[in-house]
Amino acid sequence: MSETISPAPSAAPPDAEPSNRVVEALWLLVPYVVSVVLAFVVGGLIILALGQDPVAAFESVLTTSFNTRFGTVETLHKWVPILLCAYAFAIPLATGKFNIGSEGQLLVGATGGVALGILWSDLPMVILLPCVLVAGALAGALWAGIAAFLMVKFNVNEILSTVVLNFISFQVIDYVASQVWPDRGAGHPATTPVGDGALLPGIGDTPPFHSGVLLTLVLVVVIAVFMRRTATGFEMRAVGANLRAAQVHGIKTSRLAGAGLVVGGAVAGLAGSIEVAGVHGKMLEGMQSNFLILGIIVGLMARGSMLALPVVAFGIAVLEVGAGSMQRTAQVPVEMVLIIEALILLFLLLSDIVRTKLRGR
Amino acid sequence: MTTQQPPRLEMRRVVKTFGPVVALDSVDLVVARNEVHGLLGGNGAGKTTLMNVLYGLYRPNSGEVLLDGEPVTVGSPRDAIDAGVGMVHQTFLQVDNYTVTENIVLGTDVSGALRLDLDEARKRIRELSTRFGLSVDPDAVVEDLPVGVRQRVEILKALYRGARLLILDEPTTNLTPQEVDDLFGSMRAMVDDGMSVVLITHKIRETLGVCDRMTVMRDGRSVETIERSDTDADHLADVMVGGTTGPGELIDAAALGAVDAEEVEVTVSSVRDAVGVSVQGLVVNNDQGHELVPGFDLEIREGEIVGIAGVAGNGQVELAEALAGVRAVRAGSVEVGGRSMCGRPASAWLDHGVAYVPEDRHRDGILPTASITENLVLGSQRSPGVRRHGLLDWGAAKQRAVEAIEQFSIRANGPATPAGDLSGGNIQRVILARAFARRPRMLILHNPTRGLDLGSTRFVYDQVRVATDAGCAILLLSEDLDEVIAMSDRVIALFKGSRAGEWQKGTVDAYEVGRSMTGLGEARV
Amino acid sequence: MGEITEFLTLMIPAMVPFLLAAQGTVLSGRAGVFNVSQEGLMVLGAAIGFLVSFKVGSNTVGLFAAFAAAALFGLVLAYMTTQLRLDQFVVGLALYFAALGAAGLLYREVIGVTMAPPLIPTLDDYPIPLLSEIPFLGEVLFDHDLVVYAAFLISAGIYWFMYKTRSGLAFRSIGENPKAADSLGINVTWARTWSTVVGSGLVGVAGAYLPMVYTGLYTEGMVAGRGWLVIALAFLGGWRPHLVVAGAAFFAGMEVLALRAQVAGIGIPHQFVLMLPYVATLLVMVFAFRWARQPAFLGRNYDRESRLVG
Repeated sequence: MSETISPAPSAAPPDAEPSNRVVEALWLLVPYVVSVVLAFVVGGLIILALGQDPVAAFESVLTTSFNTRFGTVETLHKWVPILLCAYAFAIPLATGKFNIGSEGQLLVGATGGVALGILWSDLPMVILLPCVLVAGALAGALWAGIAAFLMVKFNVNEILSTVVLNFISFQVIDYVASQVWPDRGAGHPATTPVGDGALLPGIGDTPPFHSGVLLTLVLVVVIAVFMRRTATGFEMRAVGANLRAAQVHGIKTSRLAGAGLVVGGAVAGLAGSIEVAGVHGKMLEGMQSNFLILGIIVGLMARGSMLALPVVAFGIAVLEVGAGSMQRTAQVPVEMVLIIEALILLFLLLSDIVRTKLRGR
Repeated sequence: MTTQQPPRLEMRRVVKTFGPVVALDSVDLVVARNEVHGLLGGNGAGKTTLMNVLYGLYRPNSGEVLLDGEPVTVGSPRDAIDAGVGMVHQTFLQVDNYTVTENIVLGTDVSGALRLDLDEARKRIRELSTRFGLSVDPDAVVEDLPVGVRQRVEILKALYRGARLLILDEPTTNLTPQEVDDLFGSMRAMVDDGMSVVLITHKIRETLGVCDRMTVMRDGRSVETIERSDTDADHLADVMVGGTTGPGELIDAAALGAVDAEEVEVTVSSVRDAVGVSVQGLVVNNDQGHELVPGFDLEIREGEIVGIAGVAGNGQVELAEALAGVRAVRAGSVEVGGRSMCGRPASAWLDHGVAYVPEDRHRDGILPTASITENLVLGSQRSPGVRRHGLLDWGAAKQRAVEAIEQFSIRANGPATPAGDLSGGNIQRVILARAFARRPRMLILHNPTRGLDLGSTRFVYDQVRVATDAGCAILLLSEDLDEVIAMSDRVIALFKGSRAGEWQKGTVDAYEVGRSMTGLGEARV
Repeated sequence: MGEITEFLTLMIPAMVPFLLAAQGTVLSGRAGVFNVSQEGLMVLGAAIGFLVSFKVGSNTVGLFAAFAAAALFGLVLAYMTTQLRLDQFVVGLALYFAALGAAGLLYREVIGVTMAPPLIPTLDDYPIPLLSEIPFLGEVLFDHDLVVYAAFLISAGIYWFMYKTRSGLAFRSIGENPKAADSLGINVTWARTWSTVVGSGLVGVAGAYLPMVYTGLYTEGMVAGRGWLVIALAFLGGWRPHLVVAGAAFFAGMEVLALRAQVAGIGIPHQFVLMLPYVATLLVMVFAFRWARQPAFLGRNYDRESRLVG
């Protein structure tokens, strides 16, 4: 069937724009609120079924971040890698590519950072710290670059290559942490500490939060401007929206898609070096935590909006910090939070359908 | 018409809406036994939608369907098939990597539930194809077959299932005049065999050539059902376009196939002396690396429309994309406005004023999720006009979008409307607005009016004339032979990527073009 | 036992998780549903299979429970993609996370944190009479646990269904051109639903096999990316069940090779040896995406009334 009948545009006079905006914003926000509430309701039912108290559980999930300064700092420290891994997922996704490799890129970025931090440990901070951070970003970019190269040159599916590279990176850091610069006394594969000049200075009183948080805030602005206001950012979004149309209109699509992956890898790599320089002071096995999954969840929840990412990432960081204390105080396993996050995502997807129905298609 | 027996098909007060759009507004249709019934109307009249309802692809909001006098509920294609209805869609519904036989038996109770056995089926297909003059090789893989043969496969699919009522949706679009004659022959054979055939078409000449009766549809309503013997082309054209066909719209009418294009007087020509585009020895490959255009020469003068007629798949896409700078050229040269363009990136062609209106406007023309504003910027995002302080200036872009919406009468809520939410005609207006914003020296139009309603079709033709008046060189590639003949100053027949004939305006004979398009004509270059 | 015999004897059971999960992936893929939740479904299958076997005392019940749990996730995927037409990748990823969470939650609830992790008995070998006595071949092929035989039989069954039956012809057409299939009265939604449910179930069984074959232990990282490798395997095999068997042999061979090289200690750090299967996968994909066909409509939802498709 050829789509020939003009849909009668629902009458919306142009002068009604301001109130329209409020309505549009509500259509955007309400699904988030409803999805979160529903996910907590379902999660609460599961907790009840497990024989625990959902109110106590959710209280500790939601308040830990704000009750103590320690909780707040921990939340900010989680927010940084979660958000950066979310960018690592969302930037390539803007071009229609799925980067499921941010943990590998983070680990290799951490390797790059820790290498300079150990080798040049005597250098002063003004030189060493930028070197460590840049090395992390470059190493992450390089790691994602393998997937980008395979994708552009050989048409290898980026989902698979980025995932497989994660598993290779686990062995890489195990090798570095147990053979190259091992810390024998750690009782766990870990490198020796980096030099003092490689550490991000803390901000505020005990416990301080590291200045990587501010760096990340700057990055939020840079990325938003890049995606929205530069020709390259526009072209990336065009490739994601319709690859063929972008091609027909003079955009070098496969190069841009590859570039998207590399930029994403750089951001994840930077997360790795910030973790080294700001949190651990060294590299250790398992430092990737579950940032990959959380980054993807945040990236999917933000639905392509670079501005929503930091906010959603903060919400997820709150849940993650709360998860540990929920397990301690309410005896509900931490995995409950992952289930709730997945549920929020599913409900958010479902809300599209409800919204379409409500608005009469 | 027999009065004692109930008609083969009766549809009563069928209503179908898509969201706010009323596609069928209480439509009635009666098809008698043993007749070819024309379902005539412009694009968007609702012909295909009505037949999709009958075939169970669309669920009607209300209405009744009776087959041979019995009320039936058609909830799915399965129900339609069981009720003896077969449908040949405009785009073939075939599994490309299956053989002809596999495609035909698909979904039937072919012998061997546990061990597939196709010998029986093959025999039946051979028998049917002889009986109705539809020759095919049952073991050929369909993706290797030309359009005409693939269409026969579609018809055989319906016949194999014992269809008593066959619906053909615009079956002649990609056929040469000779193939059309063969098809009409097969249709008569079916009717003689006791079947009824519904022919969906927007071409008056076709309905007059083969139909016993015809129902004219307009704007989702059935306007009138007419006996062949009671009507002629002028009358049908009147009914079809709503009785508003004035003399000034004769060319449009010709392009719609309402009147014979050859008879239309040449109007004012805007062709200038200066050469706008010069193409020499152009060699282009398709996506699979086969040489589809083996060496093409072409000159288009400023203000001239050169039309390319051809059966789809003869290198049109490759030629159009190569001349738009989108597809890499293997050899040859392309000069636009005196500048050699080959080897430059696609963006350089755009900047130099080469505009391309692609065949598949959804796939190649727009960013569906992006706003009209963003779609209008697409392609010029690196030119200085849209930037301020090195960054994209969305405020100014929005302002221009508002102007374009006004100027091109795009029906949308505003510049922020996602392009994918627009109708086909409005999408084409966005694409044209984008193309004309750059004051093109050369405009490549590929099937520019396919699937558009009358208003949008006219709008496209008007814009083309505005462009030629401004001295733009235009290449029009279309599968609609009437459109090519009516619009072009020169017609070139394309066969296997080469020029198989060329005619100046006023000297074109459709049959001759058809022969050349299939490689049978004598080249008159 | 000769080196080669031993290698092949180890390789056959190592093929099983790849085979079952890849055939499950191929099954729904040929109907057009691209499931990307395999890794999560395998982890869930491993956890459920282990926990049920541990509680009930029967590995067979454990395997069926794993099938049922993963099939339930498959049903959600099928419903959300065929009925609600949500993006297959995004729903698949969400289910991957949910399955990971469910697996961890269940293990922690049932077992808790213990110093001595519980064990289940590994599967017994059932040598096939007569056949297992053939020299070399008998030992390599016919002296394994029942799941091994089942995995090969299931592969053969899926191949036979797809290429030798009338319904298989119809089934495959859905992944190529669902509109064509639909226009001929083939039920696209039903085919996509059952194949996704059964396919996901097989992925769950593939996961459940892991704790039952080697150690009898459940550990968190035991699936180790096999769920993702399986998707690579489906592409490598061109989404054809018989070629998937060959591909599974390759993946299993790499795994066994890496393990044996690590045990033998061949002078290079074991980390590099353990990378081998993954590096090999990357290299193999370079070729897989060059020559292998995939269903034309893979990963795309079908909407009969969509006015834009076809």
